[in-house]
Amino acid sequence: MSADVANTASVPSKGSAGIGARQASPGTIAVFLAPAAVIYAGFIFYPVLRTLYNSLHTVGAQGVSTFVGTENYIQLLTHDSVFWRAVGNTAVFTVVGTIADVLGGLLLALCLFSRAPFARALRIVWFTPVLMSYVVVGIIWVWLYDYDWGLINLVLHWLGLGALEQSWLGDPSTALWAVLVTHLWKWLGFNMIICLAALYALPSEVLGAAELDACGWVAKLVYIIIPMLRPTLLNLLVLSFIGKMMMFDLVWIMTGGGPLWATETVSTYVYKRAFKWNTFDLGYPSAIAVLWSAMIVVFIILMTRLLRQRDRLEF
Amino acid sequence: MGGATAKAEDITLTVWSHEADETAKVALREQAARNLEASHPGVHVKITWYEKDGLDSALRTALPAGEGPDVFYVEPGETQYITGGFIAPLDDLVDWSNIYDWARAVWKIDGKTWALPEEAYTDELYYNKDWLKKLGVSLPANAQFSQAEFLDLIKKARAADMTPISQGVGDRPYPGAYILAEALLRKLGAEDYGKLLTGELSFEDPRVVAAFTWVKELVDAGAYPKNFMTLKLGESHQYFYRKPGSLLFPMGSFYTGRAFVPVDQGGQAADFPLGIMQFPAMDDAACNECKTVAVGASFAINAASKHKDLAAAYLNELAKPEMGKRWMETVYLQTAVKTAGIQFSGPYAAYFTELMERQNGAKYFTGMPVDILTGQCKETFAQVMNKAFPGGLLTVDDAVKAMNEACYKH
Repeated sequence: MSADVANTASVPSKGSAGIGARQASPGTIAVFLAPAAVIYAGFIFYPVLRTLYNSLHTVGAQGVSTFVGTENYIQLLTHDSVFWRAVGNTAVFTVVGTIADVLGGLLLALCLFSRAPFARALRIVWFTPVLMSYVVVGIIWVWLYDYDWGLINLVLHWLGLGALEQSWLGDPSTALWAVLVTHLWKWLGFNMIICLAALYALPSEVLGAAELDACGWVAKLVYIIIPMLRPTLLNLLVLSFIGKMMMFDLVWIMTGGGPLWATETVSTYVYKRAFKWNTFDLGYPSAIAVLWSAMIVVFIILMTRLLRQRDRLEF
Repeated sequence: MGGATAKAEDITLTVWSHEADETAKVALREQAARNLEASHPGVHVKITWYEKDGLDSALRTALPAGEGPDVFYVEPGETQYITGGFIAPLDDLVDWSNIYDWARAVWKIDGKTWALPEEAYTDELYYNKDWLKKLGVSLPANAQFSQAEFLDLIKKARAADMTPISQGVGDRPYPGAYILAEALLRKLGAEDYGKLLTGELSFEDPRVVAAFTWVKELVDAGAYPKNFMTLKLGESHQYFYRKPGSLLFPMGSFYTGRAFVPVDQGGQAADFPLGIMQFPAMDDAACNECKTVAVGASFAINAASKHKDLAAAYLNELAKPEMGKRWMETVYLQTAVKTAGIQFSGPYAAYFTELMERQNGAKYFTGMPVDILTGQCKETFAQVMNKAFPGGLLTVDDAVKAMNEACYKH
């Protein structure tokens, strides 16, 4: 095919019915972009700017704002012990939860991929919690953890481990972990399904070649499967990380941040400061939100850089 | 037909109310609306029913945007609507002759009255008469045990394998503090207790420490259930009168709102041996006859309303004596509307008679701590006095220190 013919084929003539998207006029592009741009500006861009603005002000009830500069940030960083407690809890929840979430999901997926007995039933059982709302999950687990009539203490008692019975959500040393277990129970199924889909998408010839080379199951997992799943796992890590950094609903339902702020997360603290302190001042909670958002962005950039694949796999 | 009538036909008075799930209250407020419509031809009252959090969110958004209703539900402590300038003062708008002075006083801030109280309640200590008898203990003539007697009662109940006090803080920021707050009120007297709550008196005051120490003894004696941290308010009611049962139940007298409904709707059995005792007398107390009275459901008029007179007329409908009587007879709660001299009848007459006996000679302190405290102090109260201290997680020193740091204005 000559160059002229190729050019003719790829650049439709003016006025033809088949104008490619890349050749649309600026006006057409604007018309198509406008709805999304308006929605984005109204629901994302403006709130972000407004939150930034509020964080530098004390906001009065009638919308009257008093400029306080960095006072909210200084107060937050130097005088607010509850904030730092919330940061610590969120960090534990995020780091431990993210690793457990992805690792657990991968293990469950491998279990199903290796055709474990009752794999179809297990897939349904493990995925079902994902379909349940946090409110339902939270209430179920509050009952399970109940000291007097909860199933967990009942089982411990039945196993002769009565000494281990305790108020799982009422003890500051166990409350955060109890909430974390609930969270994992709900989300492991989601990670499992994503990992399972990625596993089935792996090129069978690579796995077949490994088997022909008498590669053991562990070696195949470490040297072939996990490297090939790396993009999927990285995406799951980032998603899980973001989700846990913003953890709110489950904590709110199960403990309200207690006992003694042992399960307080940054999100529950922002909510309390914004809506439960009988004030219309959104300045201080906005400062928390801005600071926390910045930290999330920094961590995600760091994570992405650290886990970025340097060598391109070829298969 | 005159122009005034034509104008009136265009008026729809909007009311936003909480308590959508309490049918007796819904019926009563709707009745007030229909009464207003009957006396003001052409006026329509539209009540929108919310749950509490939904109402809060809606008001927070609507009021600053100038889109709020003419009348809305508020509770004491929600002072942000006053400081924000969203509520019209009611002193000259509403007929106050039907409202108890002490109830109106709750809403008097900076010399003005900001809302009309409808619901009132006192902090009461309910008990199971049969179980008290089973322990071989008689209630004193004034229905009030001493500090030592009460501690002994808790120990006896535990020894008899009874849960002494049904109480849980799974979904509320205040019930765990009933015993401690009432002990502090009696020990300090109303004036100093008020100072404690407003940060003018230190939590390290020896009298305060003494009250905390006594409550710690109760906690250590096993006063509260093991699932105290997760037991929800509704569950704590059931725990007391249905299963597994407890000897005592400190609760606002709004107890009856849940208890006096049919058994199949979660109410107590008709023959449940419900009794009311006074909270214990404290040693060296300033006021052992003191008790907390509080106002609940109240209604305010939007400062931006164009129909303030009509809004006030709606509040006056709610405050009529016959509505107060109907409140008592159908909602089974106390009310801020004057009902003195009312003859109790029906299946709960004995209860209301006993309740009124417990009010004899009482000196009232108005407002629960959660209605008075704000900001960090309120949050610390919820975490420490309501949860961790009665939950046995803190020593007296730690609890006092935490409260002082958050509340005491040095």
